[in-house]
Amino acid sequence: MDKQKTNTSFKNTINTKKKMTAQETVAKAIFALAAVFAILSVVSIIIYLLIAGIPALKEIGIFNFLFGTTWSPSYDGPASEKFGILPMIVGSIIATFGALTIGGTLGILVAVFLVYFCPKKLKTALTQTISLLAGIPSVVYGYFGLKQIVPLLAKISPNNNGTGILAVSLVLGIMILPTVASLAKDALSSVSPTYYEGALALGMTKEQAVFRIMMPSAKSGIMTALGLGIGRAVGETMAVIMVAGNTVQFPKGLFEGFMTLTGNIVMDMSYAMGVHRSALVATGFVLLMFILCLNCVLYFIKNSQKIKDKANQKDKKNCHKYNFDTASSKAIVYANKTKLYTVIKYICFAATIIMLAAIAYLILFIVIKGIIAFGRVGVLNFLFGKSGAGYISLAPAFVSTGALILIALAIALPIGISAAIFLVEYSRKNSVFVQIIRLFTDTLSGIPSIVFGLFGVIVFNDFFGLNYSLLSGGLTLSIMILPTIVRSVEESLLAVPLMYREASFALGAGKLHTIAKIVLPCAIKGILTATILSIGRIVSESAALLLTAGSVKNMPASITSPGSSFAVMMYMFASEGMYMDETYATALVLLVLVVIINMLVFAIAPKGKEKKV
Amino acid sequence: MKVKEIEKFNLEETAINIQNANLYYGSFQALKDINMQIKKGEITAFIGPSGCGKSTLLKCLNRMNDLVENCKIEGKFEIGGRDIYAQGMMLQMLRKNVGMVFQKPNPFPMSVYDNITYAPRLYGIRDKSTLNEIVEKSLKGAAMWNELKDRLNKSALALSGGQQQRLCIARALSVDPQILLMDEPTSALDPISTGKIEELCSSLKENVTIVMVTHNMQQAARVSDKTGFFLLGELIEFDETENIFSNPQKEQTERYITGRFG
Repeated sequence: MDKQKTNTSFKNTINTKKKMTAQETVAKAIFALAAVFAILSVVSIIIYLLIAGIPALKEIGIFNFLFGTTWSPSYDGPASEKFGILPMIVGSIIATFGALTIGGTLGILVAVFLVYFCPKKLKTALTQTISLLAGIPSVVYGYFGLKQIVPLLAKISPNNNGTGILAVSLVLGIMILPTVASLAKDALSSVSPTYYEGALALGMTKEQAVFRIMMPSAKSGIMTALGLGIGRAVGETMAVIMVAGNTVQFPKGLFEGFMTLTGNIVMDMSYAMGVHRSALVATGFVLLMFILCLNCVLYFIKNSQKIKDKANQKDKKNCHKYNFDTASSKAIVYANKTKLYTVIKYICFAATIIMLAAIAYLILFIVIKGIIAFGRVGVLNFLFGKSGAGYISLAPAFVSTGALILIALAIALPIGISAAIFLVEYSRKNSVFVQIIRLFTDTLSGIPSIVFGLFGVIVFNDFFGLNYSLLSGGLTLSIMILPTIVRSVEESLLAVPLMYREASFALGAGKLHTIAKIVLPCAIKGILTATILSIGRIVSESAALLLTAGSVKNMPASITSPGSSFAVMMYMFASEGMYMDETYATALVLLVLVVIINMLVFAIAPKGKEKKV
Repeated sequence: MKVKEIEKFNLEETAINIQNANLYYGSFQALKDINMQIKKGEITAFIGPSGCGKSTLLKCLNRMNDLVENCKIEGKFEIGGRDIYAQGMMLQMLRKNVGMVFQKPNPFPMSVYDNITYAPRLYGIRDKSTLNEIVEKSLKGAAMWNELKDRLNKSALALSGGQQQRLCIARALSVDPQILLMDEPTSALDPISTGKIEELCSSLKENVTIVMVTHNMQQAARVSDKTGFFLLGELIEFDETENIFSNPQKEQTERYITGRFG
């Protein structure tokens, strides 16, 4: 070896090539394992729900279960029990349809306004409002519906009953609006601006270009937005049970009480046993199948658009033979048709106003009622005071929520980040494997929280014997937040320019070193954003926690004891009826938390693209 | 753990020896039977129209093509007599000794100081004074010590394009490479920055063998000792730069340098 003249020598702390590759291989294997976790989760949710639901299906018979019209569990013995879920299936479908009519339409109109007609200065504010709307917990929506919308509807109702289809449709409509709006917005913004220029060059007005060219071009994206809206509406639980009236019967009119699949599960699950319990799990399985089918359809829509685009580019045979012989000699009139589109523009504007009015109403209601309530119960006393026998305070909720967040993040963050690293750094772009993992991650994120709750009950509470506990709740939450983390970390890793990696490799750095020193530090903002979004999801979650972590008002002794987060606490206060002030005060606390989380995301999220919640 | 020093290549008069090199991207053959010897201590320029394989060949020399999918490489690439595609070849050793500067300046989003010490730290250097020494030496090597010595802790992204590119050269110099590969290092820069980098190349060649891909024929003529002209994956002509530009042997070369195609 020749002697070097340089006074600095470069040392290789990793000895041999073998050892280095061994380290890289182990790392890659770990990342791959994490990436497969999403697939494992989806598959095991399906399997466990099926296993736990089979006894009921056997006992009742699949046909009687799906198409039976009576649901009457009883303790007298199996002979008198009937478990037919058809009324609830119909209820869920009608409620979803109602929500889609209201929320879907408004959502798309708001998106169009936001992308094309909104003054630049208002854009950020409006986007933020939409993500705030998405972050508000469903219990808060439900309680708002119960206290404001239901009484209002009771006045116009022929039978003085405000609960029912119309109330559920309105509440669910507001809830799916932000989902539809933000996804439709993304779809519209990704349409090539050259189409717009092309349309204007033909003499179209801005409105015509938007409604005739841009919206049709974004069709598949808008369909996807509506599809995810449907998913959210079908799976929603807590808000629905507060305004549905909850009688198991076919919905007869707009103002008759009815029940949805989700509502039935959460209302009965805490006390159901034997066949009854199994029938509830089977109900969850039906719900899950519906969501999976919906996902398949969405996947198909997405891909068929791609295939169509490709085919259109290739297909030259598909030319029409036009018949020029019959050309008429009538004079051609170019009519001015601009008015119609101007009217549609004002409808978009109106939709946005309606949305803003709704959110203002909701927020003012919670803030005013909350402040008054805090005045009665005492701020410090209620927030941090004694809890337990005879005393009510939110101190246990602070502890429980904190514990749930820590447990869920401790599990989901490492797995999610590793999975994202595998997807971006170790696999070929758009390879079959990556696509499968993306599909399963998307599927996982579409599964309703009540289904996660059932899974948690079956696996963590019963199988692992954790019973109602913070640990069980945290584990369940960790699976729920995993897709959010994987997707947003993946996005931020993709945003790290390739040339940084090249430069690092060219200096002789290995893959692992490059990831640790260059890629992850660059993506830190994305990781933080993912973390905060996950915290937001945990704070607003209630249905899954009600089933897994229990519903108690006292301080949890350890992570193996039951505990209630803010949202669950609020649901308990609301459902017991005697804690009005406490309910409003907790709602205000939740609202403040959601606002803080939204502001943090806004401050941290990488500039140039707004996060969708 | 026993610390093992990364060796250097034992460069003889011929630094790089390429024999019968073929390269395929899938079914597309990007390099066709390339044979060339690159001399130590010289600047060698690769010229030719876009897509002629010059950058591809350059990237073979530090195995950056390993990152490309479906890339198949045949033939022999020897540096200092060692086959760099042989089984026992350590990528770290290769890339430490064969530095690279890219077409677009790509400093890491860190401070100037951290950019330059990134690689030395990677190779186990922790001692502050040694690191400082490396930073000074590298920046002086890239002729920007005076410009940057007071803003070492500023973000590298705040520098101008030309400065960023010279910082990338300094970063490459930080690990004391024997060979420096430059892939159109000035194509994204203004004429003044380009001039500075060309000057820099001339001053570097005492210690570092430079292989440069360029689109700019005047640049090749100004800076390089040897020039290779590539066309459609083939090395058409490889000779002293003077000969290539004043007395090309091949018709294609002549047509290219007189600007009839490419």
